[in-house]
Order: sequence, then structure tokens, then C-alpha cells
Amino acid sequence: MSVDIQDRLLSITGVVVRWLVYVMLLLPAIIVVATSFTPGTALTFPPPGFSLRWYIAVWESSLFMSSLGLSLRLAALATVCSLIIGLAATFATDRYVFRGRDFVRGFLLSPLLIPTVVLGLGLMQFLIWIGLNQTFIGLLLGHLVITLPYVVRTLTASMVLFDRNLEQAAMSLRATPARVFRTITIPLLFPGIMSAMVFAFVTSFGNVTLSVFLSYQDRITLPIRVLTYVEQNYDPLVAAVSSIVIFVTVFTIFLADRLSGSRSVI
Amino acid sequence: MSRWAAESQNKRLGFVLLIAPAVMLLAVFLILPMMSVFRASFYPGTSALGASGFSLHQYYKFFADSFYVSVLLETIVYALITSLGCLLLGFPVGYSLARLPPTQRRVRMILIIVPLTLSLVVVVFGWLVLLGRQGLVNNILMGIGLIDTPKQLLFNRFAVIVVLIQQFLPFMILSVMNVALQIDPVLEQASTSLRAKRLRTFWKIVIPLAAPGIISGFTLVFVMTVSAFVTPRLIGGPKAHMIGGLVYEEVLITLNWPFGAAMSFILLAVGLGTLATVSILIVRPLARGLHVR
Repeated sequence: MSVDIQDRLLSITGVVVRWLVYVMLLLPAIIVVATSFTPGTALTFPPPGFSLRWYIAVWESSLFMSSLGLSLRLAALATVCSLIIGLAATFATDRYVFRGRDFVRGFLLSPLLIPTVVLGLGLMQFLIWIGLNQTFIGLLLGHLVITLPYVVRTLTASMVLFDRNLEQAAMSLRATPARVFRTITIPLLFPGIMSAMVFAFVTSFGNVTLSVFLSYQDRITLPIRVLTYVEQNYDPLVAAVSSIVIFVTVFTIFLADRLSGSRSVI
Repeated sequence: MSRWAAESQNKRLGFVLLIAPAVMLLAVFLILPMMSVFRASFYPGTSALGASGFSLHQYYKFFADSFYVSVLLETIVYALITSLGCLLLGFPVGYSLARLPPTQRRVRMILIIVPLTLSLVVVVFGWLVLLGRQGLVNNILMGIGLIDTPKQLLFNRFAVIVVLIQQFLPFMILSVMNVALQIDPVLEQASTSLRAKRLRTFWKIVIPLAAPGIISGFTLVFVMTVSAFVTPRLIGGPKAHMIGGLVYEEVLITLNWPFGAAMSFILLAVGLGTLATVSILIVRPLARGLHVR
């Protein structure tokens, strides 16, 4: 009898915790989007009405629009570059057996374990030293360092599930290596590649801790622009900008989820 | 012989070509910058550019000032509470996700991935609105008559911890879920059929098997929390300090790079040290639970 009560209590606690977690995770984003449509000048929830005036204000703000453009470009470039570099490296660690393989894998994931503040300061100093400070390429290289581990981690996971026999079969049917790669390997890895790209894109697009050290004058990424704005102002304009960040992120995830078909992206 | 030799030569070349870009990128833009910060932390003056010499002045300055030491302790305490909070809240969610059929899991996964991928500033701004004087929480509290006038919910330590937990929770959930997916549910059923109580099954079967996921989730959350500076700055205000915020101010506002460098290396060393201690004292014994009666 007491066992019954204990078990039931445990499962009720489980349900409550799960609901609490989902609500807690989503609430900030929902609140931001909801308040961004306010017609007034104060950030209130629930908003008193519906209007797009703050989105129009964002559209007319050259500061926010140029930062949005920069962030999108930066994230797209960082995604493509880190995908190419990461895919090659993951292939190497997956297909070749060599001494120190675990060490190399750990090394590729190591940026995740270094506090970004430390990395940010280091990169800023190092870029000045090699004369790449205050350049787009410096910003991009910094973002590559933080997106690469996500790409490697996601691709490694999807390569573990990869059935190598399919490639063997194609090769025994005299398909050239290039053809095997194009018609077997890439399609099979496609869901993994998609999720690696999503992670790389959103990591770069939303990054604050590193960008704050690498942004400069006219090249300030959107999250940093929002941060400096929020430190001084508190109005629905920033809710609208933040909502745009949310829309871009959610759109990226859904697009990738659609593209990779029935197989789950993540 | 020559054919085999040539083939293995080719193979090695292919391997090097594949791995070189990634290794080079990290060697040049991760290792070298870290080394340059380390070097800068030993400069005696307040500027890192064109400086020379070697001294422990920056480290001395840090540990001689009780303010810095207390902020360091505060940071570590925040990181421990946040990691533990994420574990307590995230474990049930991650585990139950792994036990769901794939179609149901997919929708919930998106609910977890979206907050994970949202920019930190956006999430923190959301909390500012949520906890503000005209925010939802104050409105609810007034609606049910708990308070008469809006209360200041922001700018205290509790708020900082709540926001930190919310930010990093998805990392814990996904780490636990990935490991739990590989645990055969049969093991739990076997334990139950042998009349083990759920709690016992949990401690003896579930926790030890899920330990790798717990360790990686805990590590990730801990590392991200110690370097947080947006949250303490915007949510904590003047009442909650974290080393990340001090480094940020030292580097970008005061422009004293050597001291910022020393602070960030102290943070790195103390953070990794704490992490190692926690994993040896708590996580490893839990993982061994399987072999203990």
C-alpha cells in the first residue's frame, strides 16, 4: 500500500515538473512576441491592443537593420564554412583508425568547455596582434571556433548510425567513389547535416558572449545591438527586434525540420 | 608491395587533408589566443599592448581584494546551484522524452530546441518584461490578492538563478535524453518485476546508466554559467556580481587587459577545479551505484 502511494507521488511530481519546465522554457519568448505588438509605449503584458508600429520603427531604424543584415550574413557564412571544415574532420575521425583519435575528437569539441569570456578576450587580443582586429574576417573566424564543435558533435552522432554496408554495396556494383559519395553518403547523412547547419546558424546568429569582444563601430551584430540598447532603454522597440530574432530562429528550425523529411532533425 | 604502399600513402594524405583545416583553425584561433591571454595575465602594468616583463601583480591584486574573491565565490556558488537546478528539473524531462514514441517526441523536442537556440539577450529581455513592475508575474500576484502594489522582482540573486536555470536547462535535457535513449527499458521493467520500488530502481538502475549524460549536461551548464555576464548584468543589477561581468568591464570599459586576463584565468582554473572535484566526489559514486548493494 505504502509502495503504491510512494510510486504515485513520484509520477505526479514527474508530470508537474515536466509541465513547469515546458512553461518556464517558452514563457520568455512568448511574452516578448506578445508585447512587441503593443500599440502603446510601455512594455505591458497582456498588451492593450494590436499594432505593427514597433516593427515599422525597426524597419526605419538603420542601426538595427544594418545589424540584422550583418548577423544574417555572418551566420550564413559561419554555417557554410564550419560545415565544410567540420564535415571533413568528422569524416576523418570516423573513417580512419589512428592513434590519438579520442584526443582529436576531444580537441574538436574543446571550445564548448572553455568559458566564452576567456576565449573572447583571447581572440580580441590575438586578432590585434596579427592585424585582423576590427575586420569582418576576424569576427567570422571567432564564430567558426564556436560553431565548429556543434557541427562536429551533431555529425559524429549521425555517422555512428550510418550503415557502411550501403556504400560497400554501391562500390561492389562499380560505382565510382565520387558517385557513391553523392548518391549514398550525402543523402544518408542529410538529416545530420541539416541539424548541424541549424545549430551552427543559430549559435552564430544569437551569440553574445564572443561577439561583444569582436564587434566594432559599424559592424555590430544584432544581439550586441540589442544588449547595448536594453542597457539604456526599455521600450517595445527592442521587443520587436527581439521578436525578429525569435522569428528567424524558429523559421530556421522549422525549415530544416521540413527539409529533412520524416527523419527527425535533432 | 608498391601498390599497397602507394595506397596507404594516399590514405594517409587523404586523412591529413580532411582533418587539417579543423585542427589548424582551433590551433590558431583557440590555442594561440588562450596562450596570449595567459601571457598577458603576467604583465605588470595596466596595458597589454607593447607591454613586457613578468610579474604576479595581477594575481596578487585579485586575491588581496576581498571584493574580487567574494565575487569569485559567488560565481562558483551560482554555477553549482544552476547546474544542480538544471539537473533536478531537466532529468525527468529528458528521461521521459527518451521513453516517448518518436512522433510525440519530435514536437516536444522543438519546444526545447527553440529556447536553446534563442539568443541570450532575447531570453533575458523576455525575463525583464516578465518580472517587470507591469509584468505578468506582478499582475498575477496582484490578481490573486497576494500583493497590493507591484513588487520589485528583478535585481536580486534569486532572479539571477531562475533566469540562468531557464537558459541552460535545454542543454541538460538533451544530454540526459541522448543517454536515456540508449538505456534498454527492459532493465527498468526487470527491476520492477523483481519488486524493486520505483525509487530503488531509479537509484540503482536509471541513475548509474544515465551518468554519462548527467556528467556531460552538468559540465556544459557549469561552464556556461561561470562565464555568464549578460544575465547578472541585466537581471542582477548592482546586487549580483559574477566574474564574467567583471572581466567584461575590465576589458571593454576600464581597458585593463592584463587584469582581465588574470581574472579570466583564475575563473578558468577555479571553474575546472570545482568541476573535477564535483565529478570525483558526487557523480562518480552515483555512477558506480550499479555495483553497490
